[in-house]
Amino acid sequence: MNTHISRRSFLKSAAATGALVIAVGASPRLLSAAELNSERLPALLWLDKNGNVILGVPVPDMGQGTHTLAAQIIAGEMDIDLSNVRVELMDFVGKTNEKGIAAFGHLHQGAGGSMTAMLQWDPLRQTAAYTRSLLVEAAAKRWNADAGSLSTRDGAVVNPASGTTIGYGDLVKDIGDGAAPAKWEDVPLKPLAANKVVGKDQPNLVAPDIVTGKPIFGIDQEVPGMLNAVIRRCPHVKGDLVRFDASKAEKMPGVRAVIPLPRLPEDKAERRFIAASVAVLADTLWQARKAADALEIEWDGKYGVETDSKLLQEKAISLLDGAEMTETVAQGDVEAALKGAAKTIEATYSYPHWAHACMEPQNCIVDIRPDSAEIWVGNQFMDEAINAVVYACDLKAEAITAHFYRLGTAFGRKAEHDFLREACLLSKQVGKPVKVTWFREDEMEQDYYNPMGAYRLRGGVDGKGRPVAMHMRGTSDARAALYATQEIPFGLIPNYKGEWQQLPSDVSNGAWRGPGSNTRAWVTQAFLNELAHAGGRDPLDFLLDLFSSQSKVEMKNWPNLTLGLSRYVTALKTVEKASGYRTPLPRGRGRGVAIFTTHHSLCAHVVEVEMKGETDFRVIKVTSAIDCGLAVNPLGVRAQVESGIVDGLCAAKYGNMVFERGVPVTNNFDTYRKLRMDEAPLEIDVHILDFGDTSPRGTGETSLPPFIPALTNAIFAASGKRIRKLPIMEAL
Amino acid sequence: MTRVSLTINGKPHQFDGDGEMPLLWHLREDAGLKGTKFGCGIGACGACTVHIDGAAVRSCSVSMNTLEGADIVTIEGLADGARLHAVQEAWIAEDVAQCGYCQAGQIMAAAAFLKDYPDPTDEDIAENITNLCRCGTYVRIRKAIKRAAQSLQTA
Repeated sequence: MNTHISRRSFLKSAAATGALVIAVGASPRLLSAAELNSERLPALLWLDKNGNVILGVPVPDMGQGTHTLAAQIIAGEMDIDLSNVRVELMDFVGKTNEKGIAAFGHLHQGAGGSMTAMLQWDPLRQTAAYTRSLLVEAAAKRWNADAGSLSTRDGAVVNPASGTTIGYGDLVKDIGDGAAPAKWEDVPLKPLAANKVVGKDQPNLVAPDIVTGKPIFGIDQEVPGMLNAVIRRCPHVKGDLVRFDASKAEKMPGVRAVIPLPRLPEDKAERRFIAASVAVLADTLWQARKAADALEIEWDGKYGVETDSKLLQEKAISLLDGAEMTETVAQGDVEAALKGAAKTIEATYSYPHWAHACMEPQNCIVDIRPDSAEIWVGNQFMDEAINAVVYACDLKAEAITAHFYRLGTAFGRKAEHDFLREACLLSKQVGKPVKVTWFREDEMEQDYYNPMGAYRLRGGVDGKGRPVAMHMRGTSDARAALYATQEIPFGLIPNYKGEWQQLPSDVSNGAWRGPGSNTRAWVTQAFLNELAHAGGRDPLDFLLDLFSSQSKVEMKNWPNLTLGLSRYVTALKTVEKASGYRTPLPRGRGRGVAIFTTHHSLCAHVVEVEMKGETDFRVIKVTSAIDCGLAVNPLGVRAQVESGIVDGLCAAKYGNMVFERGVPVTNNFDTYRKLRMDEAPLEIDVHILDFGDTSPRGTGETSLPPFIPALTNAIFAASGKRIRKLPIMEAL
Repeated sequence: MTRVSLTINGKPHQFDGDGEMPLLWHLREDAGLKGTKFGCGIGACGACTVHIDGAAVRSCSVSMNTLEGADIVTIEGLADGARLHAVQEAWIAEDVAQCGYCQAGQIMAAAAFLKDYPDPTDEDIAENITNLCRCGTYVRIRKAIKRAAQSLQTA
């Protein structure tokens, strides 16, 4: 269960009750009483005399199930029941580097890149194994037995020779301060086959707190004496403040200050970091909101009027038509191969900006004091949250105390500094703790969006329907198009060329679930589907042949793995069989398939859709196969696959962040449409592939990218309409 | 200054303040009931759903000055003491929550819905459960609502 006792307070009780305290890490160690009394503490696991474990989890949970996963790793390796493990988010345990900046120490404390399971697996497992070995040693001493002859079971050390057991809690007092325990290097890890928790379905351990409404999110926090800030921000992407009149607002109840903040960076040639704004600070959030609405503000909107979704789209197409582009990858002779092809096709794909629409809007509390600072925030990266204050206030990281909380989704947006920077500037000015709460309109207007992009693709197949050439030109207002043009099928088609050019834009872009992958999977896998049809092949057969044509392929994009392609074949055959792919469907229904590797993992989907008239559709069923290495929590893996599917459906069907003359105009759920229950797939059937891998890989960002092409391929199969422009609802 | 007498989670409660204040902010900022969440402020997402006189209502769009005599139940008051409501239990059993931010609103919406639709079909759920979830837990929410319906019927 998630708890919010401060670490300091349970350490006191640890000292009082003589609990066993271990520093968590890949090289765990027993802590002495002196260390427990020191000011700066490492990450901890502690075991009390009742055999209960409290574990500090290194990485914030934003819905990806970090806490549950961490508890499973500990319980499985220690041979204790999960109900005896309590988890809480640990403090930042990194270091301050020579420049005064916070940096990770021996633990990675950021949630991003679908790396949480991968990076927690070893240190947590090693910590638990080491703790277990201390207990086994203590029992061996008591029994005067050989530690090697003892085993552990259900929170106790067992002596198989005598059949006696001692509970872990009873052994705690034997492992005293100053003992010279085994070295962690010598501690064997439990074979996976003997692990009773890892690999088993485990429901979210935080669920009891969630379903009863416990105040576990950043937005739920308050500190004594704080002021609430509501900020009116310049909506123009390049705009500035001309003047404001606060005379009405200042007279309103509870208002303590009205403070203008400058746009950062000041140079308007650079993309916005934080908007020019006027902040109202009041005793309560509602007072601040009302007074902020009473401000009269004149914005300078003459800059950046060419930041306009329609105009950007036209510019992108004109770049595809005529621009000299930079070559990204090349193999063989594309032009000659196209000339010699039995059939050639050409297509243009494009997609707009997407907003994050995090369910919990950005918020934080910051208290800047003369030589120190304290923050309370939900942020994906602990180091980045602290560094936001370092940069804003010229403090060293070691002078900043940070409290971290659960995040109400994040999707990449809450790794940024901007909302903390605003609070820093305000707290510094008023000399009090300031809570900044963004409203939905702020969250969408001031986003760092998923970049827009457009592509021109040409391809050819031979007389047997095999792809012989592909040429991809791309442009986007971030580097997404560069990566797209070097994505697989490069390496699998004998003649290939990629080219790209960046689209000039003033829109701030950032990481959005499956950065780059989220759209390049669509463009590449949808075009492969077109090539399959051009050659008269069934799309799944076409993919099976393509991925059987060689044994491996090098990824040109992060994480630059060498991919064994037999896994692609297994994944495709799994979804083929489980979806009933070969069974004919009634008119108006269709199936689409796609497969893609991203964030260290592979995922294939077969999507079945039913058309609802000419211009709408319903996803009937999604059948998925994921290869994410060892599935520590299969129930959690399935949840992430389901989540990526629904998020992908939502983005593809409706996602369209619209800018008009430099101003974002879709700024709440009435104009920026999100998917609801009535459009969610009726069934999602997830198959977790087991190739015998012994460690976990990425899950949270793997299922979304291939879902979108599987969906548009299904719409083509159901309706004959080829979706080459997102959102789907504007293309159907 | 507006004075409103109402009931929150079974206890008499008096509000003295700005009558235009939405119930959501009174709950979160004055009454210390943080379980009800802010999502959009325009009644579009449902994260702030509470029960007013037994009906599911989006509390960001209800002013305090309309609540004289109202009986409010929030997520903190849904369980019967330590005994969770069937919907809360179903949410745990179906492992619905990912980030969990919208789930208090989802649970309040589902609990009210099940009073009108004790044996709901997929269509009933699709038509009446309109809260947003950005983790995309809809498939599990659908299962949890059906599970809760069964357990309420056998109770």
